[in-house]
Amino acid sequence: MQRMFDRFKYNGLFVKMFLVMLVSIVAVAVTVTWATISMSERVFMNTFSLTNSKIIGQIEAAMDTYNYSVVLTANGISQSGTARSFLTEENGNSLEQNNSYYSMGRMFSQISTGLEAYEVGIYITGTNGRSYATERTFWPITDSELRQHPATERAIAEPRRLLYQYDDPREAGIADSEPAVVVTKAMMDRSSSTLYGVIYFSMLESEFRRFYSSFTTPGNDVAIMGTDGTVISSNREDWLGRQDQEWLAHAVQMQEEGLPYLEANIAGTSSILVANYNPSLGLYILNIIDKDRAIGQFIDTDTIILWVIFIVMLALIIVFLISRRLTRSLSLLVKQISTISKYEFDHHVSTTGSFETRQLATAFNAMMDELQEYVSQLVHTQKQQRNAELSALQQQINPHFLYNTLASVKFMVQQGSKEKAAEIINSLISLLQNAIGNASETIPVSQELANLRNYVYINHVRYGERIKVNYFVSPDCMGYHVPKLMIQPFIENAFFHGFSRKTEGHIYIMVSQDGESLLCEVVDNGDGMVLDAENHLPAPRGKRQQFTGIGVKNVHERVRLLYGDGYGVTITSELGEGTKVRIRIPLIEG
Amino acid sequence: MKKWIAVLLVSMMAITACSSGGNNNEGAAEGGSADKLVVWAWDANFNVKAMNLAKEAYQAENSGVEIEVIENAQNDIIQRLNTGLSSGTTRGLPNIVLIEDYRAQSFLQAYPDMFEPIGDSFQASDFAEYKLGPTSVDGEQYGLPFDSGVAGLFVRTDYLEEAGYTADDLQNITWDDYIEIGTKVKEATGKDWITLDPNDLGILRMMIQSAGSWYVQEDGKTADLKDNAALKEAFEVYKKMMDANIVRIHSDWSQYVANYNSGEVASVPTGNWFTSSITAAEDQSGKWAIVPVPRLANNDSVNATNLGGSSWYVLNVPGKEQAADFLGKTFGSDVDLYQKLVEEISAIGTYMPAAEGEAYKAPNEFFGGQNVISDFATWTNEIPNVNYGMNTYAIEDILVVEMQSYLGGKSVDQALADAQAQADTQIK
Repeated sequence: MQRMFDRFKYNGLFVKMFLVMLVSIVAVAVTVTWATISMSERVFMNTFSLTNSKIIGQIEAAMDTYNYSVVLTANGISQSGTARSFLTEENGNSLEQNNSYYSMGRMFSQISTGLEAYEVGIYITGTNGRSYATERTFWPITDSELRQHPATERAIAEPRRLLYQYDDPREAGIADSEPAVVVTKAMMDRSSSTLYGVIYFSMLESEFRRFYSSFTTPGNDVAIMGTDGTVISSNREDWLGRQDQEWLAHAVQMQEEGLPYLEANIAGTSSILVANYNPSLGLYILNIIDKDRAIGQFIDTDTIILWVIFIVMLALIIVFLISRRLTRSLSLLVKQISTISKYEFDHHVSTTGSFETRQLATAFNAMMDELQEYVSQLVHTQKQQRNAELSALQQQINPHFLYNTLASVKFMVQQGSKEKAAEIINSLISLLQNAIGNASETIPVSQELANLRNYVYINHVRYGERIKVNYFVSPDCMGYHVPKLMIQPFIENAFFHGFSRKTEGHIYIMVSQDGESLLCEVVDNGDGMVLDAENHLPAPRGKRQQFTGIGVKNVHERVRLLYGDGYGVTITSELGEGTKVRIRIPLIEG
Repeated sequence: MKKWIAVLLVSMMAITACSSGGNNNEGAAEGGSADKLVVWAWDANFNVKAMNLAKEAYQAENSGVEIEVIENAQNDIIQRLNTGLSSGTTRGLPNIVLIEDYRAQSFLQAYPDMFEPIGDSFQASDFAEYKLGPTSVDGEQYGLPFDSGVAGLFVRTDYLEEAGYTADDLQNITWDDYIEIGTKVKEATGKDWITLDPNDLGILRMMIQSAGSWYVQEDGKTADLKDNAALKEAFEVYKKMMDANIVRIHSDWSQYVANYNSGEVASVPTGNWFTSSITAAEDQSGKWAIVPVPRLANNDSVNATNLGGSSWYVLNVPGKEQAADFLGKTFGSDVDLYQKLVEEISAIGTYMPAAEGEAYKAPNEFFGGQNVISDFATWTNEIPNVNYGMNTYAIEDILVVEMQSYLGGKSVDQALADAQAQADTQIK
């Protein structure tokens, strides 16, 4: 969990960058796809409606040709005296009848040549009860049925018009029949305006459909609609004969507003409607396109979307790889920098990755170097300064010490102990010589020991020998160097503070080699004391007895200044048992 | 994506088809094949039903044979046969086709190699002799005779009675007698005696065949109009009927049937197949009788003739042996099948042994208990055999015009001579 969090922390940049890219790519892809599809839909609609109006034009042309043949034939029959007399005269004798029927047959075969290309049956019925039919198979209806037929009524109601009508004989109970498109025209006497008959041109609806069936495909339907809204022919058989005012309204609207196409809900499906009214036929030609299916054929939305998804995935993979490569070196750098602890200025970061990262790492390293140099310079200067300070302190021979010692010598001289006085003067001279005269910072243990002996001797002379000092110095340590007057302050301390209650005791001085360091111990069996929390010795109560400016307190500081944190002074003490001081310094060869 | 898959599938299928198919699909592309017989016929209620009955009978014993009967209008069959046969390919053609007897020779002679002789599959002599002429060429039997076009004279007995006649008075009469009786009937009832279509000279064909004559000579090719005594008499009879004012005119089949069903016309000389149209008017049950057709007075004419009728032909396409076997075992020899044809669709065959069956002897209540099937079967055997030749309808179109000229005043000899001249130029 933590690791994951860490990873996220260091890859935060990558995650953010990738998320932004992801969102942008997806947004762009979705927008472009949507725009493409809707644009092609619009283009499709425009071209489709354009082509479909042309198709309607072709359908109209085909139907016009048929219509023209029908009109010619109807006119021929209307103007034919034979037909007129056939339909108006009374039944004569057999021969007259024969002549009449025969001439009708002749007339039909002459007039209806224009219709030979079509499978059309022509009927005529007259007010005299006679009728004549060329072919009844397309519309199997008897003469008596024909007279009662709604198509006849409509034809008589509008005698001057050629009417296209739909009839399904199956509805009238005539089995083995098919829906038919019947064109009717009433025959009128021009002079008296009286009706004398009706002409019917019957064609199977399935035959009529051939005028446009080559233009239809599933979802692209054609319906031929009369002015009353009745569908007289359609490639959709379920639409045949249906009377829909809504369709009619759509068609009229398109016609009046001159719309190229209309989107409407036709028979429950969202459709594109192209319609045209042909005044000579008196018919609306409707081209109804199922929008979803038509556009589905034209625009393969699934494929487009799949492609877009594929491309988006590809782009994301590339973006993923590249941005990870870019950010990885950066996050690595960040990780390295962040793990460098506060004072480790000497650490360098690895200069790998992209150019930018390498430059950054180099700059960072250079900065670190400079910083380190600066810091070490600073440390060096401070050390030197401190050393100087300490040296100065070291070389300040306490005047009290000198005064007291010289006072002791005076007493001895007065008491006549000349030799003892000379001894003290020798020791003092040697001590002073070492403290002041020797300029080098470190001295061999043997010399330090000599100093200590001199110092102890002076104290013994001054204060008596109730505190014995014993030296245990490992002979192999004699050659190693120690800082000047390093041990002296602790003996001084033991002399003047360790034996306030106890009147006598011992001070042991031990110098030994402990591993790679030199261990100097000053152990007394005096009063002991309570140490403060940081194992510091209590501050000395007065400076009178001190030999030099260096107190015990400065030794630790000085050792650490000289040799680093691993070295220094440790003090343990117990009340009534004594105090133990251990000074650890590195082995320094002379 | 779907399209790719589709393309992939299609190409895979194509590869599979190429590797495995190859030789077994070629036969199926042809119209007929050994394991499936295709039959073309017109008239769903008559010919198609008859063929389906035969199919059932045959499949009861040969269950492995698939037979498909396709209904087409007669004109479509003629057109498609002509197209297919003249192109020389048998693709899309059926194994068996029904052809009207009047047209049979035009096909048999125009496409001599495309039809299969099937004389070995049945006994030709078991069939009415007059059917053998149209269905054979040079003594080779190509067609299996199907329905009889045997004609009879349907008459309204109630109208006859009003004029003082009975059906017995119409037995074995001449056309002159027929006109005379008709005139009386019209006088008594006001009903016309016969209805005719000026564009359809079927009645002339009936008259001349009863005299063993036809529009062409026995070679089937040379028009035989001028100096054809039977035709001349038929023309004269036709004019006499008109002159007697006993004729009603109709323009098409619907009016034709309507004229009888409405009771406006009292008699109709026509083929037996008209029986179902007559019996459709159930209110006229018991008012009709069927008598032999009149004969021509001055020629060697019998009181039996034919109108229409058709026969089955086997095309020379794969499966022809099976087709011949099928026809031979059904229409060629199955007496029971013929009984069924009579019972279920009133179809009278020309297979003479069938007349012995029960169904042929059953009386018909519509015709007052008359054994009409039996009578027709009897008359069938008397029909003179003529060679219809190749041009029946072409010549008839010429005669229709000449008939009108004759009715309009031209002499009969002149009319026939003019017709002959036209026919000679048109046919040759």
